[in-house]
Amino acid sequence: MKMHAKNRNVAIIGIGQTSLSSHKEDQNQAEMVHEAVRNALADAGLKIGDIDCIVHGNMELFEMQFAPDLWHSLGTGAYGKDEYRITTGGTTGATLVCAADNLVASGLYNTVLAIGMEKLQEGNTTGGITNMADPLWFRNLQTGALTGTTAQEMIDEFGEERAKRAAMRYRIMMDKHAMLNQRAHRRFGLEYSQMEDLMANSPPLVGELRLIHMCSQSDGACAMIFTSEEKVKQGTKNPPVWIRDHIQVHREETIPNLFGFNKPEVTHHLAARKLFARNGIQDPVAYFDVFEMYDPSAWWAVDWLREFFLLKGDEHLRMLEAGDFDLDGRIPINPSGGVIASNPIGATAMLRLAEAALQIRGDAGGHQIKKEVRHALASGFGGTFWSVLMILEKELNWQEVNHD
Amino acid sequence: MTEYFGTTVADIFATMPKRFKPEEAKEVDIAIGYEATGEGGGKWKATIKHGTLKVETVEGELTGCKTTIHTDAETFVGVTLGKISALDALSSQKLRVAGDPKFLMLLLPKIFTPYAAPAKKPDAVTARDIIATLAERFRPEKAEGVAMTIGYDLAGEGGGKWTIVIRDGKCAVREGLADPLTVKMTMEAKTYAGMMVGTIEAVTAFTSGQVKIEGDMAAAAATAKYFRKYVVPGATEAEELISLRVTNSIEQRFATGPVMGRWFAGIREKKFLANRCPKCGRTQIPPREICAWCRVRVHEFVEVGPKGVVTHFDIVYFASPDPLTGAVRDTPYATVYVVLDGATEREAITVDLKKEDIPRLKEGARVRPVWAAVTTGSYRDLIGVELDEEEGSL
Repeated sequence: MKMHAKNRNVAIIGIGQTSLSSHKEDQNQAEMVHEAVRNALADAGLKIGDIDCIVHGNMELFEMQFAPDLWHSLGTGAYGKDEYRITTGGTTGATLVCAADNLVASGLYNTVLAIGMEKLQEGNTTGGITNMADPLWFRNLQTGALTGTTAQEMIDEFGEERAKRAAMRYRIMMDKHAMLNQRAHRRFGLEYSQMEDLMANSPPLVGELRLIHMCSQSDGACAMIFTSEEKVKQGTKNPPVWIRDHIQVHREETIPNLFGFNKPEVTHHLAARKLFARNGIQDPVAYFDVFEMYDPSAWWAVDWLREFFLLKGDEHLRMLEAGDFDLDGRIPINPSGGVIASNPIGATAMLRLAEAALQIRGDAGGHQIKKEVRHALASGFGGTFWSVLMILEKELNWQEVNHD
Repeated sequence: MTEYFGTTVADIFATMPKRFKPEEAKEVDIAIGYEATGEGGGKWKATIKHGTLKVETVEGELTGCKTTIHTDAETFVGVTLGKISALDALSSQKLRVAGDPKFLMLLLPKIFTPYAAPAKKPDAVTARDIIATLAERFRPEKAEGVAMTIGYDLAGEGGGKWTIVIRDGKCAVREGLADPLTVKMTMEAKTYAGMMVGTIEAVTAFTSGQVKIEGDMAAAAATAKYFRKYVVPGATEAEELISLRVTNSIEQRFATGPVMGRWFAGIREKKFLANRCPKCGRTQIPPREICAWCRVRVHEFVEVGPKGVVTHFDIVYFASPDPLTGAVRDTPYATVYVVLDGATEREAITVDLKKEDIPRLKEGARVRPVWAAVTTGSYRDLIGVELDEEEGSL
């Protein structure tokens, strides 16, 4: 029996986003959700009646709104339909897509609409995260997702100057990408000439993690529509984008377990290693044309590139320094500007998938990669280093790999 | 003075005393320096001391300020008006704070009411533009049975002479002044435009003699209701957007269970109790019923510590709220990861380091626990750790 064999193929056929901004006082939550849903339906050329099931996701603790799916049902169109709600922290948006993929692949539903949303300005995100998964420990010190340990590790490994420059180069690269994305929340217009200044003067948050390195807190929603291969064959308004495979590593462990004398294999590395192996991808840098990565901070982003691409030593830094991750580089990272630019948490990981799919379609607009995008990778991150990784394809032509 | 978003930096400082809330600043003793660069900028110093405020302009160096804010004039105005997010301005370095930015962001909204920009003069809109829209703004339902002719004599640029005829539920606008008129209004064209866009109050304009009314005064006062309000092209009417404020405070209690409960029972006795996996030997902290790696039940408890080694640490500058108390944390503080003596290599605990020890903190440092005076079996029993220097490890 093959592991993770798909019952039937699943395609993304509709993508809708709202703009992403620091606050949306002109819309309540249901109205904001509705804007994304309307956009996704229009993109797919479908009506709400064509949707068989809805998957809804956000982090209810951030807005402190119980059963948000009930309040949002007029916006989602879930009234009278099957609906599931998913809340898995930062990975929510990616888990939503995994769930929609599974629901369609299973054959239980033909067409599924997934919605990720957050209005972070309506609650307290850092306070929400600090109310840890484990209620009994560590709350008195926890500061949401802010940590300087990765910065320190990189400084220890590569030297202070090189490590700091790498993190800042990544940060400015993300801003340059965000400047091309009209929907992005934070678009500063940073220049590489500001690097030294930002490295020295951006206010420190934790250790060498500075304000400029950290992701935003945004309001916004994303909706995506998934359907089966059979339905795709009946015709779609826009070219379908195929979900080849996905993996979720939600590893149980407390945060301090990651910070003893030695480190367990980072979940991102574990996810990438297993996913690439079972899909016969030997060289991910060569195979993929774009990677939309969940990058909560510039330090984490640089460090994680090594994990996701299964690189060794300073390969990731050399690639970054050579411009390989730039929009017109060898393997562009986050043409959208990434999480650092826009972060409506329940939608954030879904936006990675949505943006990767738009790149494959050639519909990303101002931040479209110039060369053809056929193979895309996207990730989600949350909780105690949970990782979700997904492969999207332009053509339905990949080779099945046997893995017993 | 150069305007940004319809206001100047000087306006903001000029209105500071009016916006100051002395009752909120009784405990405050701080001097804040402001440097706004570029056109319309300058230097200011605000001294707040026990409910009093002194604002002064500064020539030369800003001295004697606990905190100084440096930015360009446009960003300063934008942030003050909420047109630019303060956090974004800080992140992009357009706004720099020497001192504690978090403290300022918490303090300023408390002791000052927000600055509101003065209404913008409708430079671009002329009386002629507004008169041209009268017929389309006419509300026949409000003018039933009304028959009147209104004359406008508007002097200056963008002005002219017009007659508005309202009759049989219809409105017509003609060039020139008809005779007779029900009422005739004479004023500067810019006064008329100002009244129409709402920057000049009609009653004030009349009382101050800027508007001359001849004929039926009551008819003049009634004209407004026959027309929908004029809206400057391209401008959207500012709509009132109501946000509801809610504070949730929820009393919670969590069962620790018989296994993790031993950890709390242990620290009540100032002991660290881990449980050891029979298969891989890891000492789980806090203890758990099963080892997730080996998926076997774990029964044996072992005492570890009380001293240990710092494996990693974070110096936290960001003052986030403590969800256990609601109080904003005192920064900087050090979060240290410690592997207790006798614990296996990955079983770190995360604790606070005594503040005075932060300057001497290093990876590999030996630490010992600091216990609360009274231990009750709660996470509060372990206040944190302090450097254990007697052993000569540093």
